Amino acid sequence: MSQQDSRVRAFVTAFEALRAEVEKVIVGHHDVITHVLTGLFAGGHVLLEGVPGLGKTLLIKTLSEGLELSFSRVQFTPDLMPADIIGTNIIVEDADGRKHFQFQHGPIFAHILLADEINRATPKTQSALLEGMQEGAVTVGGASRPLPAPFFVLATQNPIEMEGTYPLPEAQLDRFLFKLRVRYPAIDELNAIIDRTTQSRPATVSRVLSGPAVLAFRELIREVPIASHVRDFASAIVMGTHPQWEHSPEVSRRFVRYGASPRGAQALVLGGKVRALAEGRYNVSAEDIKAMASPALRHRIILNFEGEAEGVDTDTLIGQVVEDAEATAVQSREPFLR
Amino acid sequence: MEQRVGMDDLLGRIRREIRRRRGEYYGLRGAFWGAVAGFAVLLAKQGVGGTAPWVAGSLVVIGALAGVVYGVARRVGRLDTARVADRAFGLHDRVATTLEWGERADRTSLVDALVADTLARVQALQIKGVVRHVLPREGRFLPLPVVACLVLALMPPIPLPSGRLPDMLAPGEEEREDRTRSTMLEETTRPLAKDAQKRASFEERDFAQRAGGGGATTAGDLSAIFKDTSLANQRPDFNSFLKKGDERLKMLEQMDRLPDLQSDFTNSQYKMVFRKSKSLTGGLRPNQISPQKLRELLEEMERLGRKGGNWGNDAMEGMEALEGGQTDRALEAMQKALDKMRAMDDAERSGKGLRGGRENERGSRGRERGRGDGMGGDEQDFGEGEGLLPGRGRSGSPKGEATQRLRASPYDVGVEGESRRGRKEGFDTNLTGRAGSMASRLQYLGVIGQYRKMMEDAITREQVPRDYHDQIRNYFQALDER
Repeated sequence: MSQQDSRVRAFVTAFEALRAEVEKVIVGHHDVITHVLTGLFAGGHVLLEGVPGLGKTLLIKTLSEGLELSFSRVQFTPDLMPADIIGTNIIVEDADGRKHFQFQHGPIFAHILLADEINRATPKTQSALLEGMQEGAVTVGGASRPLPAPFFVLATQNPIEMEGTYPLPEAQLDRFLFKLRVRYPAIDELNAIIDRTTQSRPATVSRVLSGPAVLAFRELIREVPIASHVRDFASAIVMGTHPQWEHSPEVSRRFVRYGASPRGAQALVLGGKVRALAEGRYNVSAEDIKAMASPALRHRIILNFEGEAEGVDTDTLIGQVVEDAEATAVQSREPFLR
Repeated sequence: MEQRVGMDDLLGRIRREIRRRRGEYYGLRGAFWGAVAGFAVLLAKQGVGGTAPWVAGSLVVIGALAGVVYGVARRVGRLDTARVADRAFGLHDRVATTLEWGERADRTSLVDALVADTLARVQALQIKGVVRHVLPREGRFLPLPVVACLVLALMPPIPLPSGRLPDMLAPGEEEREDRTRSTMLEETTRPLAKDAQKRASFEERDFAQRAGGGGATTAGDLSAIFKDTSLANQRPDFNSFLKKGDERLKMLEQMDRLPDLQSDFTNSQYKMVFRKSKSLTGGLRPNQISPQKLRELLEEMERLGRKGGNWGNDAMEGMEALEGGQTDRALEAMQKALDKMRAMDDAERSGKGLRGGRENERGSRGRERGRGDGMGGDEQDFGEGEGLLPGRGRSGSPKGEATQRLRASPYDVGVEGESRRGRKEGFDTNLTGRAGSMASRLQYLGVIGQYRKMMEDAITREQVPRDYHDQIRNYFQALDER
């Protein structure tokens, strides 16, 4: 077995182990867990959307327990200020009685940041995360301070309660690699949740992965090759969400105001690479891209008035865009090459 | 190395399969079009001769072979083949990615693992047929031309259409002509007088046509005669020919008096000549028209005129004008001759009682009434809701000379027809005669019936307020009294 083979095997093992640890606590939500892990190894941030009580926060806390990484949690409220997240300079008196400014680190200075109910904070506070999420560093008092690597933001938001909330601006949303929808559990899963959470001894989660290992896997993932026709397929999907594109499907032309940004294409390909490697493959396939389409694009598409009025589901729309891109790719080929 | 051979082997097999399917596909298409060409050849079996079935069969085979060669020779891209393999064997784009990245300079270390993995999987594959059969549309319809070819090959040859205008004579007349043929042959073999030599072109042409397929030269084909400029340039003397007395013409006249219910009235002499004249002059200025073709047409009209038409002189005039280089005049003469042909054609149709019976009846009644009391009533000539379309506009009716039924009217009017130039055949009608200067009165008489009917309808349907009914009726009554 070559060195590359062993690295890939190690990744597959780590991925499965981490998932297993999370699933010790979280019942169901298999896809959500997989996508959260995908986001972690792809080097992106993940936004979880779901009604209260579905275990979003618990999932993130459990994940942090499975990793040998620092974890901090910020409960976003309307009166939360940027300094409460980033940190601030405070006057400190030393032993000699001299006073000087000292930077007090905010909760953002952690490997894993749980931004709970992120849409309850004002846009100003939400924006405090922007630089950290994109650059991996924050600037306070004119000095740039790097965040620990790997830096991974997991945010949650409630789609129902809209009073007293501030929907995330598009620029902020675009920084999230994936937006995951946490659905209500099925009855079997609900029964399992009851059994697990009402037992006397809660499940213990082991730490299975360290920070450097995560960084090494991130490097490995970027080496996964992707064929040009698979890359073209990803581009066609992203372009298909743009109503202005000449080949975009009717559903996009009718219901979409703005399509996905190039970050969407990056998310598709990176997510596809993680998925391929997690399945023990050394290359990205079209199926990987298709599997990543909804989580990578659903928060990057802005519906127009007609789309909002008709209650168009973004996932359905993306599904149609993917189908159209696939059909176009197939139809342009002669029958013997399809 | 051995493993790489395994992948090349897989791609080679798929490439061959793609080529085979392409060969089938294009072979069927080629066979179809070859069969269509063979069908055309068999249609002309009379001209081609006994080799026609062989030629047709060869065309089918050649078409199929050409299609197969084209399909097999078309390039099959390596990456295309790799994608087919990926899809067929569920390899998740491994082969295509390996081929693309295997030779790249910026390949990562993971690519080596990918290549090894792909080769291992390819080695373990069970090779099967992966490229589906595609039946072209032509393939579905291939039996049609093939069966048609077989039927035509077994059938006797279909006679080819001749280049001359169809002779409108009835079969009985042909028989009589056959009887007179011997006389004509004798005439033509006699030494000709000086005048007769001038007319040789007409007689010879006439003979050649009546002789049908029995001539030594290409009988029935006028082109040979038309190309003989020495004959065509001689001035014909139609009157002396008539004086000489041709029994055939007399017989033709007698035959014309009989109603010929078997004739195809949609394919009259006039229509044939009209179509020819349209195709000759359509969209061209007089100086652009080929004098040779115009002469051919005029000669043909003249020939038809001799069979019992009154346009022969016009056709002669046209030919004389053409010889003098006056194409304009030749065209005018041709148009006159055409008008006369049309008039005769119309007269023949109505005379044989095939259509226009009511018009004739009404016309003759009007004439009788006009003779009787001298004052044919207007309302008898034009019933309620009927009337002509007088004026200088265009009429939708192709009927030209509708004057006869109006002769008894005090508002004597004729409607002349002229063939309208353009894409669609039609006639412009103009008023002539006394009513030309009384157009308004005629229009009134023509339309008053319609207006009165419309008025009654409107009142019946309560489209008019009740208070106005009497007023409107009084108005129309006052018009009648005037």
